[in-house]
Formats: sequence, structure tokens, C-alpha cells
Amino acid sequence: MPLKALLMAGALALMGLALAQEGVDPREEAKRQKQLLLETAGILPTELIVEQGKDLFNRKGPSGKTMAECDFGLGKGVLEGAAARLPRYFLDTGKVEDLDSRIITCMTRVQGFKPAQVKRSEVVAVAFYIASHSTGKPIQVRLLFPEERALYALGEKLFYARSGARDVGCATCHVTYVGKRAGVLPYADVLGKDKSWTHWPAYRYSNDQIWTMQDRIRACYGNIAHPQPDLYSLPILALELFLAYSNNGAVVEEWPAFVR
Amino acid sequence: MKRLAVMVAGLVLLGLGLSQVSPFRARLEAVLHQGGHEFAQVMLSQDKGQALCSQYRDKLPADLIPGFLAEQKALIKYPQSGKLLGDWKNGEKVFTDPKRGNCYACHAGVASEVAHGTMGPPLTDYGQRGTLEAVVRYTYEKIYNAWAYVPCSLMYRGGVHGLFTPEETADLVAFLLDPNSPINRR
Ligand code: HEC
Ligand code: HEC
Repeated sequence: MPLKALLMAGALALMGLALAQEGVDPREEAKRQKQLLLETAGILPTELIVEQGKDLFNRKGPSGKTMAECDFGLGKGVLEGAAARLPRYFLDTGKVEDLDSRIITCMTRVQGFKPAQVKRSEVVAVAFYIASHSTGKPIQVRLLFPEERALYALGEKLFYARSGARDVGCATCHVTYVGKRAGVLPYADVLGKDKSWTHWPAYRYSNDQIWTMQDRIRACYGNIAHPQPDLYSLPILALELFLAYSNNGAVVEEWPAFVR
Repeated sequence: MKRLAVMVAGLVLLGLGLSQVSPFRARLEAVLHQGGHEFAQVMLSQDKGQALCSQYRDKLPADLIPGFLAEQKALIKYPQSGKLLGDWKNGEKVFTDPKRGNCYACHAGVASEVAHGTMGPPLTDYGQRGTLEAVVRYTYEKIYNAWAYVPCSLMYRGGVHGLFTPEETADLVAFLLDPNSPINRR
């Protein structure tokens, strides 16, 4: 498949440049790198993954159904703006779900895949595809159901909790030390002006990785030498709901995003 | 007795405070374990200092500060030998090691070392303060438990968490204060 090779070549091409550009505004720099990659490869990695996700979306599962049979919150098969309203509570599962977990629900409950058959790479690709239908949409996350309110409260606690051998928590870097840096990137104001919720899912050109917010949060725990919460687990979902709600009204510039 | 101890620990957990009722706590514990047992364990073993900093979002009410500082001070252990000024050469190793001191992540140190963070004040020429007993003791205690002087500081309590030993703390002190240490020579 040329996809992988193309991605590799593109990523390698801009690595050297990326390293030489410290001290530049990271968002501006990402835009520049994106343009550069578009000129060299002719297509963006984000676009390739979205195409992959589209194929998976339209693939029939063991039940004979495609993902168009699934409800991502706005009705069966409706993708326009759906991702911008997640996470939310779903009556059919009785759970709060984000984009990742709703995709799994779709694959297992509707398409008939066994949970063990669900590949992470496929979930991410489909997330890229579904998210691409929310570019230009404002984030609209509500706390209507008691389950949503309880999870939000937990997310807030986790966000401000200081724990582990490094005595830190999300708020230490992303509230108290916003704008400071330990590595290359300054700490983002994730609850406020940086509108971080709208930056994921994204392609990270510096590491050639495709990540959803789940991966981003787990990586932050990893950075502080903290055991990471499992993928799709409630602590991640709780933090996501808290982050998304804090960014309500922010308009998605582009999903999937292209970040350092 | 054990059960009671567990309850009390649970109540300060994540800074939930003493007024929280237990169904909430039970739910919280269940949710944390859903994220994996190792993850839950670190969250559930939050100590009292961490819980207070969480609860008050790093801004402790003035009336809690003296008690907080005293409790943090009580967590400090000293070398068996009583010597708080150790070997600066080993101190430099601990200072640089990302798994132990990791001090360059936040502080400037030896002037020629340019790869350093700036979230803490520069420690270059720290030795200008001299080596009076009070300076040595403050430096030792600050490094072993930063929260004994600044509640909820970003600087984590490396000694308290066992990231370095009391002897290694004394070596770090020497690295900062010894006139022969490269941190004090340009
Ligand atoms: C030691 C500092 C540190 C801590 C603690 C930390 N992060 Fe991060 N975080 C970073 C860095 C560095 C980045 C990458 C640069 C950036 O975008 O802020 C980042 C990025 C992020 C982003 C993406 C920001 C954007 O605009 O794209 C989110 C969201 C985030 N972190 C959430 C969290 C959460 C939730 C926690 C708590 C579990 C946490 N972080 C803890 C340092 C930290
Ligand atoms: C995560 C960031 C961070 C790390 C890692 C860190 N510090 Fe600090 N340090 C700070 C901050 C912020 C301050 C100022 C606030 C305070 O005093 O706690 C500080 C203050 C200090 C002070 C007091 C300075 C003065 O003028 O009195 C000393 C001494 C010090 N640090 C030594 C160290 C040593 C030695 C290490 C490595 C073992 C270290 N620090 C690791 C952030 C850090």
C-alpha cells in the first residue's frame, strides 16, 4: 500500500525543518509544515486517514450492516456536526460515550464484531472520518443527564488532582503554568483560550502519529510518570467531558487537525 | 481499625474534603479502578498534602498554611551521619539524572548547560549564599521536600517520594553550595 510509504516520506522530509524551528509560534509552525507537506506529497496524512476511515465506515460487519446504521447522537447515519456534540449520554447503552467509544458501540452492537476484533487503528481512522464532518461547527456539549453531570464532576476532580511521585496534575501545567515550557511546546490553556478540545483528533507531524483525545490524555499521564488510565476507560471519559464542556462554543477550525 | 484508616484516607482523596458523603466516594473508587488498577492505586494513595493542594487548587487558605508546613517538615528524613553537605560530584549526577533529581527540567544549573527549563529560578551561582548552617539546612530541606517551604509548589517532593535518598540529597546540597562545584565556577 503506498499510503504508509507516502506518510513516511512526508514525515521524514519535514523532520529536519521541524527541529530547526524552535521558539516559533507552534500553531503558525504547524500551518507552515502542513503547507510544505501538501506541496511535497500532494496530499495530507489527515486526508489519507479520513479516506481509510470512510472505507471502514462503509464496510459491512458480520451482521451485514455498515456504520451508516449507527446513531452517533443526531440520528441514524447523521454525521454532520455529530462529533462536535460528543461526549454525551446515549439511551441505548445507558452510558456517556465519546467518539471513540461510540464507534466501538457501533462496531460491536450494530455491526456484530466481537470486542476483541476491534482494532485501535480502525477506531482512530473512523474517528478521523466522522470528525471531518464537524469542521466549522461549534462545540456543543451538554450536562443534561445525571450520568453526564456525575462524570463531569469526576473529570473536574481528576483535572485538579495532584498525585503520584511527581506531585502534579493536569492543572499544574495547563492552568498554573500556561505558556511556560519544559520541552519545545508551551503548555496550552486547555480550558480556555487555546480551545484544545478542537485540536483533536489530529495528526502529529513531529512523531508521525494519529491520535484522538484519548491518546493525548494518556500521553500526558505518561509525561508525569503516572500509570496511564486504560483506553476507553471512565477516567479518560470524565476528563474529556470536562475539557469538552469547558470549550463549549469554540468553533472547530479543522477536524482532523494537524499539530506538532 | 484498618477499615477506619482506609475510610479516612478515602475522605481526603482527590481533595474531596470531609463533607463528602460516601456513595460519591464509592463511585469514585469504582470509576478509578475502571481505568486500571495501577492508575487507581496512584490516585487512591494521594497523601494529605496532595489532597489539600487538589482541594484548594494550590491556593491554601491562610489559616491552613502553618499546619501544612509543619506536616511537610515532619516528612523530612536526614542522613544517618547528620552531614547535610555531601559530595558535589555525586550530587551533579543526581541533579542531571531525569529519573532522580531531574533538576534541569525546571532550573538553570551549570552555566555552560543550555538545555534547561525555566519554571524554577536559576540555581547558577547558588553558592554565593555561603555555607552557614542555616543556608545548608534550608537548602537540604527545600530539596528533600519543596512543600515544607512553599505549599503546593510545582517543585515535587523528590526526597519524600524516594526519588533520591537523604545521602543523595546532601550530595545535591553540596552541588549547589560547594565552592568547587561547577555551578559556582564560570
Ligand atoms: C508536566 C506538564 C503536563 C501535565 C501535568 C499535563 N500535561 Fe497535557 N500537555 C503537556 C504538554 C507539554 C503538551 C503538548 C503541548 C501543548 O499543546 O500544551 C500537552 C498537551 C495537552 C493537550 C492538547 C493541547 C492542545 O491544545 O492541543 C491536552 C488536551 C492536554 N495536554 C490535557 C492534559 C490532561 C487532561 C492532563 C492531566 C491528566 C494533562 N494534560 C497533564 C504537558 C502536561
Ligand atoms: C517541576 C519543576 C521543578 C523541578 C523538577 C525542580 N524544581 Fe526546584 N523549584 C521549582 C520552582 C517552581 C521553584 C520556586 C518555588 C519554590 O520555591 O518551590 C523551585 C525552587 C527551588 C529552590 C529554592 C531556590 C531559592 O532561591 O531559594 C531550590 C534550592 C531548588 N528549587 C532546587 C532544586 C533541585 C536541586 C532540584 C532537583 C532535585 C529541583 N529544584 C527540581 C521547580 C522545580
